[in-house]
Amino acid sequence: MFNRRLEAQIVFWAIAIFFIAFLAAPLMTLLVNSLNTGAGTGISNYIQVLGDKSMLGAIANSIHVSVIAAMITTILAFTLAYAVNCTNIGKGLKRIITIGISIPMLLPTITYGFAIIYSFGKQGLLTKLFGMELFQIYGFNGLLMGYVIYTLPSAFLLLNNSFGYIDKKFIIVSTLMGDGFLRSFMNTILRPLIGTLGGAFVLSFILSFTDFGIPASVGGTYSVIATQLYQVMLGTIPDFNHGSVIAVFMLVPAVFGVVFLHYLEKFNFHYETFTISDLPENRLRDLSFGMLSIVTVAAMVSVFLVMFIAPVVKNYPYDMSFTVQFLQSALFSGTLVEVYENSVLVALVSAGLGTVISYSAAIINVRTAMDKSVKMTIDLFAMITNTIPGMVLGLAYLLLFNSSDLKGTFLIIVVCNIIHFFTTPYLMAKNSLAKLNPAWETTGELMGDTWIKTIVRVIIPNSIATIVEMFGYYFINAMVTISAIIFLVTARTAVVTSKIKELQHFASFNEIFVLSILIFVTNISVKICCDLIHQESASQ
Amino acid sequence: MLELKNVYKKFDGKTVLDGISLQIHNGEIISMLGPSGSGKTTLLNIILGLTAMDSGTLIFEGMDISKVSMKDRGFNIVFQDYALFPNLNAYQNIVYGLKNKPGVVNKQELDELIDFLELGPHLVKRIDQLSGGQKQRVALARTLATKPKILLLDEPLSALDGVIKETIKERIKAITKKYKLTTIIVTHDPEEALTMSDKVLIIDKGNISQYGTPKQVIHAPENNFVEEFILRQLQIKRDNIYQLFKECHV
Repeated sequence: MFNRRLEAQIVFWAIAIFFIAFLAAPLMTLLVNSLNTGAGTGISNYIQVLGDKSMLGAIANSIHVSVIAAMITTILAFTLAYAVNCTNIGKGLKRIITIGISIPMLLPTITYGFAIIYSFGKQGLLTKLFGMELFQIYGFNGLLMGYVIYTLPSAFLLLNNSFGYIDKKFIIVSTLMGDGFLRSFMNTILRPLIGTLGGAFVLSFILSFTDFGIPASVGGTYSVIATQLYQVMLGTIPDFNHGSVIAVFMLVPAVFGVVFLHYLEKFNFHYETFTISDLPENRLRDLSFGMLSIVTVAAMVSVFLVMFIAPVVKNYPYDMSFTVQFLQSALFSGTLVEVYENSVLVALVSAGLGTVISYSAAIINVRTAMDKSVKMTIDLFAMITNTIPGMVLGLAYLLLFNSSDLKGTFLIIVVCNIIHFFTTPYLMAKNSLAKLNPAWETTGELMGDTWIKTIVRVIIPNSIATIVEMFGYYFINAMVTISAIIFLVTARTAVVTSKIKELQHFASFNEIFVLSILIFVTNISVKICCDLIHQESASQ
Repeated sequence: MLELKNVYKKFDGKTVLDGISLQIHNGEIISMLGPSGSGKTTLLNIILGLTAMDSGTLIFEGMDISKVSMKDRGFNIVFQDYALFPNLNAYQNIVYGLKNKPGVVNKQELDELIDFLELGPHLVKRIDQLSGGQKQRVALARTLATKPKILLLDEPLSALDGVIKETIKERIKAITKKYKLTTIIVTHDPEEALTMSDKVLIIDKGNISQYGTPKQVIHAPENNFVEEFILRQLQIKRDNIYQLFKECHV
């Protein structure tokens, strides 16, 4: 590697410029705006915002409800992950739990709120089923429920993954040593997972604290930071400076959370080797955890059930006779189809470009001999994008690009998505590329390939499964996001999630649910396709 | 002829190669033998052009190639784990380089090479369907199809089991004779080194401990290291095998 590969340098600089323009610059603008007082630079905006009682109340509310949601989510996610990994319940049931729990990921959070309203409201499906209103849904209860549903899949995935690295042999050793269930549980499960449990809590907290869709739909008069930010920016008199300050307030806990997540990694056990072994028999354990998980998943799915029922009956919940009238009128109405097409277009382009960019960044990091500083820079970009809440990023874009040609284009939504969801696909690519044989590039070069040619002929074909997975991740997230794009859409570039927000004002719940079903069906199709291609290429 | 003059290399302040000088004649098989961390793999990578040396000169056929890039040197290597491309089948791997330089090997030569390595029945197999020895032969064929000026082999036998090991050994010897190919082998196994090569380069802590024919190494070890670590190992092996056969015959 005498000639520092020019191609790699060019790719790196292209990525760096992209991140400087669309991550660093907008964030700087946001910061500058928050300090811009009209009479020079100062912290008077901060003082004003903090002096506002309703704002302080919203922050307190946000923290309050997010902490409780995170606690419930962590316990539930742990229970489910334990059932899947450490009990002898049937394989089929384990699969149902794993798949069932991930369903909310395919839907925008704003839909959760409306599903909760239609399930638990005065005329809700579940209210009818139980014969009474279980609790007041608007405000704290609704938010709590929405946040738990929203964060459960991510927390479960995190814990489920960590469970995979726990050496089950220790459970057997502990049993052989005569430990009771509790002691065995503490030593072989809880202790090794303590770091991940903390991680699941922090992750759930950040997600809840920064989400916009749920409070937008079910928040009622219980104001949280996300709805405050929305009102300040898109209310009757938009205040860019105060909006920037609120965005900074939203950013701070997220930054602490991510730093704390890194710190928690130290507590994770890394077993040298682990073998798959059978678990000791314990019927009581299996039965109780089996039941608990079935109830959790069933409860979650039942909340979404209404979404599929309401739009196909005549007048929910009074006249429950079947009709396709609403589906028809929605699907043949130009506007809904148009926003759906917009959404698919944005998701496809975001997924395509996003995959190219994150894959290239991973190639530079893992498979070139570039300087350490170059690799650290890319990792830093990934860490920052992981930290910035969608609303903060969207607002920063609004501030920087408001007077540019980018304003009101699909391109700005696409770019925002690419940056916002960059971290996970980038890490997927990094992991997968690091596992490939390190001598392939050298071999290719000795066979007369240019660097790019080896990437195309060998590296890409051998990581196609990961590329498909990255594409699927980008696509699904771009389809469901609302927080990142709510400040960026215009009437011309409306996407499904922002349309749902708009339909809320007209109480057009049938349309809302039809659009949600469209997103759901699209996402599940993409997910199944990706999984099939993934299996296909993995089995080769 | 390949000549190394005063090759120095440091990694993170630690001297890995401490002024290596030697000559390798055309058509010779040279084994570079030493314990892990002795610097033998670094030396191999420097000859290949993958690693840059800190100071020193490399001269090939009278030309200074110290600054010539890996690609332009025209040497080639078979890696320890073969680095075969799993998205391509055996044949596609073998002709991989020919796509870039179509004229290097003609059809007849290629068929001869495939025949010689007995790869005919395995050409359409996927890489994961090949046995260790077959993978080794595919990797050899892929490298030889580029007609390298020097063939480098990094621990060529380490991933193979007993019987295959001996046949591959013979095969490598036969190839170098057939194509009159200068071959440099890196190994940590004294038996391998001494039975496969014309000359053995014993490296210890970045220095040449001894450079000579297998006979010279066995009968005239130049220092304690050669005696203790190279000969001693072989003697124990020999004694164990003698012991075994004696018992069997009695």
